Amino acid sequence: MYPFGQGPARYLPYLLLLLPLAQYVIFYAGPSLFTVIYSFTDITNVPGKDYHFVGLDNYRDLFFSGNASERWDSIGRTLYFTLVVTVVQNGVALLVAVLINKRLRGDTFFRAVFFLPVVLGVAVVSLIWTMMFDPVGGPVNQIYQLFGYSDTFFGSFEHAFEYIIFVQIWMYMGYSMLIFLAGLQSVPKELYEAGYIDGTTSWKAFRHITFPMIAPAFTVNMLLSIIGAMQTFDIIVATTDGGFNTRTMAYDVYKETFRGSLEMGLPSALSVIQFLFILVFVVLAVHFLRKREVEH
Amino acid sequence: MKRLSIMLCIVLMFAMSACSSSNTNGQATPEPKTETDKNEPSGEKKVIKMLHWKQDNINKVIESINKQFEEKYPEYKVEYTTTAPDEEYKQAMRSRITAGDLDIFPDLSGMRLSPKDWTPGAKVPDWQQWIDAGLIADLSNEAFVKNWNANDIAQAGTYKGKVYAIPAGKVAMSGLFYNKEIFAKYNLQVPKTWTEFVNVSETLKKNGVIPIAMAGKDIWPLKLPVFSLQAQILAGGDQSKWIEGVWKGTAKFNDPDAVEVLEKMKTIQDNYTIDGFMGISYNTLPSYFASGKVAMMPNGVWEAPTVAAANPNLKFGYFPLPGTEDPAKNNFLVGKYDMTWYVAEKGPNKEGALKWLVFFSQPEIYQQFVQAAGFLPTMDNVKTNSAFLDNEVMPYMDRFQLAYEILMINRENVGEHLAAEGVHTEFLAPGGPFRSAKELADVQQKEWEAAAPEK
Repeated sequence: MYPFGQGPARYLPYLLLLLPLAQYVIFYAGPSLFTVIYSFTDITNVPGKDYHFVGLDNYRDLFFSGNASERWDSIGRTLYFTLVVTVVQNGVALLVAVLINKRLRGDTFFRAVFFLPVVLGVAVVSLIWTMMFDPVGGPVNQIYQLFGYSDTFFGSFEHAFEYIIFVQIWMYMGYSMLIFLAGLQSVPKELYEAGYIDGTTSWKAFRHITFPMIAPAFTVNMLLSIIGAMQTFDIIVATTDGGFNTRTMAYDVYKETFRGSLEMGLPSALSVIQFLFILVFVVLAVHFLRKREVEH
Repeated sequence: MKRLSIMLCIVLMFAMSACSSSNTNGQATPEPKTETDKNEPSGEKKVIKMLHWKQDNINKVIESINKQFEEKYPEYKVEYTTTAPDEEYKQAMRSRITAGDLDIFPDLSGMRLSPKDWTPGAKVPDWQQWIDAGLIADLSNEAFVKNWNANDIAQAGTYKGKVYAIPAGKVAMSGLFYNKEIFAKYNLQVPKTWTEFVNVSETLKKNGVIPIAMAGKDIWPLKLPVFSLQAQILAGGDQSKWIEGVWKGTAKFNDPDAVEVLEKMKTIQDNYTIDGFMGISYNTLPSYFASGKVAMMPNGVWEAPTVAAANPNLKFGYFPLPGTEDPAKNNFLVGKYDMTWYVAEKGPNKEGALKWLVFFSQPEIYQQFVQAAGFLPTMDNVKTNSAFLDNEVMPYMDRFQLAYEILMINRENVGEHLAAEGVHTEFLAPGGPFRSAKELADVQQKEWEAAAPEK
């Protein structure tokens, strides 16, 4: 009832929590709030210059100025990226996790190998694939040429974005796989035994036992990949740097903030829009995913 | 309801950890990695904070100049920090200036893009905003300014009649390196007209030699040969007039001369360039040329030391890309001022920074710099001591012109086909979505009009 005793001592945990809360406010909530406020001003990155409220000007600039169509391109591309990455990454990860969970030989080895790309980090992974995808004498292009095809990969207007999607999935598949594995190991063996006696096929066992039982892991994975995919810009910076039709919303925010003009209002508006997008998607996803979680 | 809130908490936690984890690896956060030389801690020495970008030959010479400076003035210590070039450098420069944590720094080019009275609604460049906000020191009354070529200071370091910057050199970038041995083998002369250039490329192609190596992956290297075409073709060879024209509506991006520029670049990209050039990155480009397998390479003269280092036996020359049929109109190079030094007004050690500039402005010190950097000097009576510059580049320097990207003043929120003061030939075939130069030109004109300031 009173885990920390009675009297003033009861407040100790709250005092201890104040520290992280203060950090959260100073370094996270505060700046976020200021971003929203700045998005309605014409603030610049020049010290000593004053700024004024300009209402919705920045938002109008985003969606109704000369290059507004590029904004819509970025939004469309972000949604496409999110959809493909979420579906393929989790599909592949689930398949691999189930296979590893079958206790085949060397499962720890495979687990480590599939998780390795996450550990390497974006810079290394991008460098590896930039080398693999070297159009002149790179290994992948040599394989392509056996089939009489060749490509410029990250320098191609048609496919550069798909290659980025591939790298993203290649990199984070192991992460989703680990979460699925944790979920799979929590499924009680008795369920399968009971099913076995009733004569289920392995597909049916997966469909009706495994899949519902790992719903929590599935939820976490879906949310993580949706949020992660909508925020991806580091891989894009490292591979194509936004050229060749590969800009996404997150990349636009980065570019406008650090490489655009000294204006800070427009990028703030852009990140507010991006935040709203992510929020809508996450709320929808939580809503639908929770419906199918089973109660133990 | 309670479960929902727990769920949301977990999601938020994950989302945050996802952000933070994605920000700790790789190059996500734009926090410039600094490398300061690890000398003994400067006890009571006054520190001069200097920022620069990574470029080996230049870093070395600046470090050596700093050492000489410290020997002469033992009370100072120069803290020399370098970041990756171009965009990352701009980022570092901005954040350090904003924080007032910088004494002296070079900008990437001379003063440029300053709005004129005929450019309503144009972007105000960073340096101008900084000067207007009183962040940059006024050098007008400093004696060392007289050491520099007055015309260069006027063109690249003067704003509203006051000197704020010292351009440390000029570079030419509109020409092509060519392999003299390959040219001799097939009995080819340096082309002086567009037709000759096409013939040279055809001959090479017929003999199984790749005529030209280009780097399309980084996009900007494709601008370099275009600068030559723009300077020779736009408005009959007066690009400043043409730029004023597009602002005033008397010239258009889809006029015949502008289309001709795109058309000629498309010809080069389509027929004479190494396969897969859109995937080649700039830093690997010299190795293609140095290997002797490729006859020509459009690039800036600053790349000469790199080529020479990659293959010391290679005999190579340099010529401007000829864009017209009149040799007299083609025989000049286009370029820009490079590395323009500014002193921060509100930095911690302004007088130290000025002292460093005084030291740097001595002809014998500047001589060391120019030789190592491979720039063309902006100080009279300073020799480059480079056979390549003297024999291959200097003959084309009498009518040196500034490049389109330096002269062009862009509109705010202009579309991607005109962004970054370029005409983006990467959108043309073979790699790009536009099958003809005219299509791209029409889109450019549309975007230019769409970005017009509201009346």
